[in-house]
Amino acid sequence: MIYLDNAATTKPDKECLKAAEKYLYEDYFNPSSLYKDGYKLQAEIKAAKTNILSFIANTDNYDLTFTSGGTEADNQAIFCGGKRGNIVVSSGEHSAVFASANETKQRGLEVRFAKIKSDGSVDVENLLSLIDDKTSLVSVIHVNNETGAINDIFDIAKKVKLKNKYTLFHSDGVQAFGKIPFKLTNDIDLYSISAHKIGGVKGCGALIRKKRAIIKPYIYGGGQEQGLRSGTENLFAIKDFEFAAVKKYSTIKNNYQLVLNLQEKLWEKLDKQLFTRISALTCSPYILSVSAEGVRGETILHEADDLGLLIGTGSACSSNEKKRFSRTIIACGYPESVADGVLRLSLSPEITLDEILKAAEILNKIVSNRRAIMA
Amino acid sequence: MEKVIIVRYSEIHLKGKNRGYFERVLIINMEKALKGFKHEIKRQSGRYLVEGFEEEETENLVSRLQKVFGIHSLSIALKVQSQMDAIFNAAKSVCSDSGKFKVSTHRADKSFEFDSMQINAEIGGRLLSQNSNLSVDVHNPQFVINIDVRENGTTLVFNEFFKGAGGMPVGTSGKGLLLISGGIDSPVAGHMIAKRGMHVDCIHFHSYPYTNMQAKDKVCALANVLSKYTCGLRLNIVSVTHIQEEIHKKCNGEYMVTLLRRFMMRIAERVAKKCGAQCLITGESLGQVASQTVEGMTSSNSVIETLPVLRPLCGFDKDEIIERSRAMGAYEISIQPFEDCCTVFLPKHPVIKPTLESVLAEEGKLDVEALIEESLSTLEVMDL
Repeated sequence: MIYLDNAATTKPDKECLKAAEKYLYEDYFNPSSLYKDGYKLQAEIKAAKTNILSFIANTDNYDLTFTSGGTEADNQAIFCGGKRGNIVVSSGEHSAVFASANETKQRGLEVRFAKIKSDGSVDVENLLSLIDDKTSLVSVIHVNNETGAINDIFDIAKKVKLKNKYTLFHSDGVQAFGKIPFKLTNDIDLYSISAHKIGGVKGCGALIRKKRAIIKPYIYGGGQEQGLRSGTENLFAIKDFEFAAVKKYSTIKNNYQLVLNLQEKLWEKLDKQLFTRISALTCSPYILSVSAEGVRGETILHEADDLGLLIGTGSACSSNEKKRFSRTIIACGYPESVADGVLRLSLSPEITLDEILKAAEILNKIVSNRRAIMA
Repeated sequence: MEKVIIVRYSEIHLKGKNRGYFERVLIINMEKALKGFKHEIKRQSGRYLVEGFEEEETENLVSRLQKVFGIHSLSIALKVQSQMDAIFNAAKSVCSDSGKFKVSTHRADKSFEFDSMQINAEIGGRLLSQNSNLSVDVHNPQFVINIDVRENGTTLVFNEFFKGAGGMPVGTSGKGLLLISGGIDSPVAGHMIAKRGMHVDCIHFHSYPYTNMQAKDKVCALANVLSKYTCGLRLNIVSVTHIQEEIHKKCNGEYMVTLLRRFMMRIAERVAKKCGAQCLITGESLGQVASQTVEGMTSSNSVIETLPVLRPLCGFDKDEIIERSRAMGAYEISIQPFEDCCTVFLPKHPVIKPTLESVLAEEGKLDVEALIEESLSTLEVMDL
C-alpha cells in the first residue's frame, strides 16, 4: 500500500507511542488531583507545553492550551477571539475556521471573506482592504490544506496590526507545524496545531496564544488549562504529541529537503498531458495538488484505492453541486471541470522514491484510461 | 399482575378456510420481529398475546410489532385472575389521576359471575369512590378502561390502542424484486407492496468507481429500514459501470437513462427468476422525471419477457411519497447527498418521449447480451 494522504492524517509513530504508554497504564491519575502521584502530572503537562512551544515560539511570550484537535483550536480562536464588530478570514480557510466564521454571523458578528489567488494563497491587498477599526479578529491559514500554498502570515500579521493594532491575528498552522521551519513573531496572537498530522494520535491539538492576548474560555467546567478549556487532560495524547513534536523538529530541515525531492520527482513523473498543477512551485513540499481535468477526482481515488494507492481529492460524489466541488479550488478561480478533477497528493518523509515512481505510474495509467472512456 | 401485549390482526379475519395459513405466517413474522427479546406468543381467538417479556422492554416490543404487516392494533394490558378485586387493582393502575372516563367490558367468559354491565358499574363505582378527581362520562370520555374477561379464567385490563401497520402478513402474497436506488421513491414502493403481503427482495445498481461506498452504504441502510417491515430481505447489488461506459462511448448521450433502464429491467428480471420472485417492483411515478413518462415506461417495459412490473407510486405526487417515506423512517436516509448510478454520465437534455424504434436503433450499437452477462458476474448478495 502506498499512502499519499498524509495531510489527512499520518501514521502514528511507534516509538512515541511506546514512550507515552506509561501515561496510560502507570500515571493514569487525574492531573487535577492533590495527592503526589496525581499532582506531579501537572509538571508533565507543563513540560509538554514548554517543549512544544519552544520549537516555534518564545516561551516567555506564548502559552498553549491543549484541545481535542486542530478543529477545536480553530473554533476556540474564532468564537473566543472574534468578540465584536467584524472578523476577516480568507476564502482558503480549512472548514474548521470557515464554518466557525459563518456561525459567528448568528451571534451578531459580520464576517468578511478575503479573496485568494489561483494557488490558494490569500490576496493580501484584498484582505487588508477589508480591515477597519471594528475588526476584532483576522484568520489566515498558514499552509493551505488543499493546495499547500504557504501564506506569509508574519508579513500579513504585521500589516494587519498596522491597520488596527487591537485586531487579534489567528492562523491555522495544522499543515505547517512540524513540517516547515518557522518562528512565530509578536504579531501572531493565536495559532492552531494538531498532533495526528505529525505522527501523534488523533484527538489532540493545541491553541497557541500570546500571553497578552485575552480570549474567553471555550469549554466551561473544572477550570483546567487556566480556565480556558475545562476537561480532564488527555495526558497520554499530550505526551505522545510532545514526543512526536520533539522527533519531527530534530529532523525538520532534513525532512523538508527529503520531501521536497519526493514532491519534485512526483510532479516530474506525472504526465503533463493529463495533469495540471494547482499547487504553486513555492508551496509546501508536503502537499501537491493537481487536476486531471475532465475526470472526476473521486473516480480516480477509487481506482487508485483498488490498485493499492491511497490519495485525497478535491471533489466528492455528492449530488449536491455546491458540496461536490472543493470550495477552496473554486475560490482559486478554477472552472468546475478543473475542480472536479482535483487530487491532493500529500507526502511524508517515510515515503520512498520507488513508491513515488509507482504512484505516478498508477495515476498516469488510470487517468489516460478514463480519458479514453470519457472522450 | 403481569404485563402483556394484545395483538389484533387486520384483514385476516375476513379470510375463510385458509385463515389458519395467514395466522401461521403472521406468527412467524412476529417471532422474527421479536428476535433477541425474551417473549412468548400465544394465540387466542382472533388475537395474539405476547407474554413473558422483561417489563422495561415493553415499548421496544410494541414498536417492533408496529412494523409487522397484518397487525391492526396493539394494546399493553395487565393480565389478572378473573376475580373482581384483582380486576379493580389492575383498573386502578391503568387509570389516570383525574378526568372523565368510562369502563368498557367485553365478557367472553359467559360463566363469569357478573355480566359486562355489572362489571362496568362495579369497577367504575369503586374507582370513583377512591378518587374525587374522577368523573364518569360514557358519551365523551377522556379515557376508557377496557376490561376483557377471557374464557381461561384470566382478564385483560388496558386503556390504550396503538395502531398497527395494517395490511397482510408478508409472505402470504408471493415474492417480488424491488429495484432500489438511493432515492426517496423506491423504498416507499417496496413498503407499499410488502403491506399487501408480498415478500420483497431488492436489487441495486451501482457505478463504482464513479459512485462511492457511501452511496452503496446508503442503499444498504434503506434496504435495512425496509427489511424491518418485510421481516428480513435479500439485497442484490450489481455493477452497471461498464454498461454506462459503453452507452457513453457508442450511443447518443440523450438516450443514456432510457437505455440504462432497459438494461436494469433485463438484469432485474433475470435475478428475479433466479431468486423465485414473481414480479418486479419499481418506484416510478408518472411524469416525475424525464424517464418516467409513459413512453419511457413503454421503452423499459418492452424488454421484460414474462414478469409483471408493479409501479405502486404511479398515481402519487412527490409530497405524498415524501410523507410515506417519513412515516416508514426512510426519508432521513434518502436525502443524504450521495450520487447513485443514474446521475453518472447524465445528459443535459435526456430524451423525454423516446420512440421504441429510436431506442432500438441506439441499442443496436451495443452487444446487449454480453453486457448483461458481464454485469451479472458482478452480483453481490447481502441478507438483511
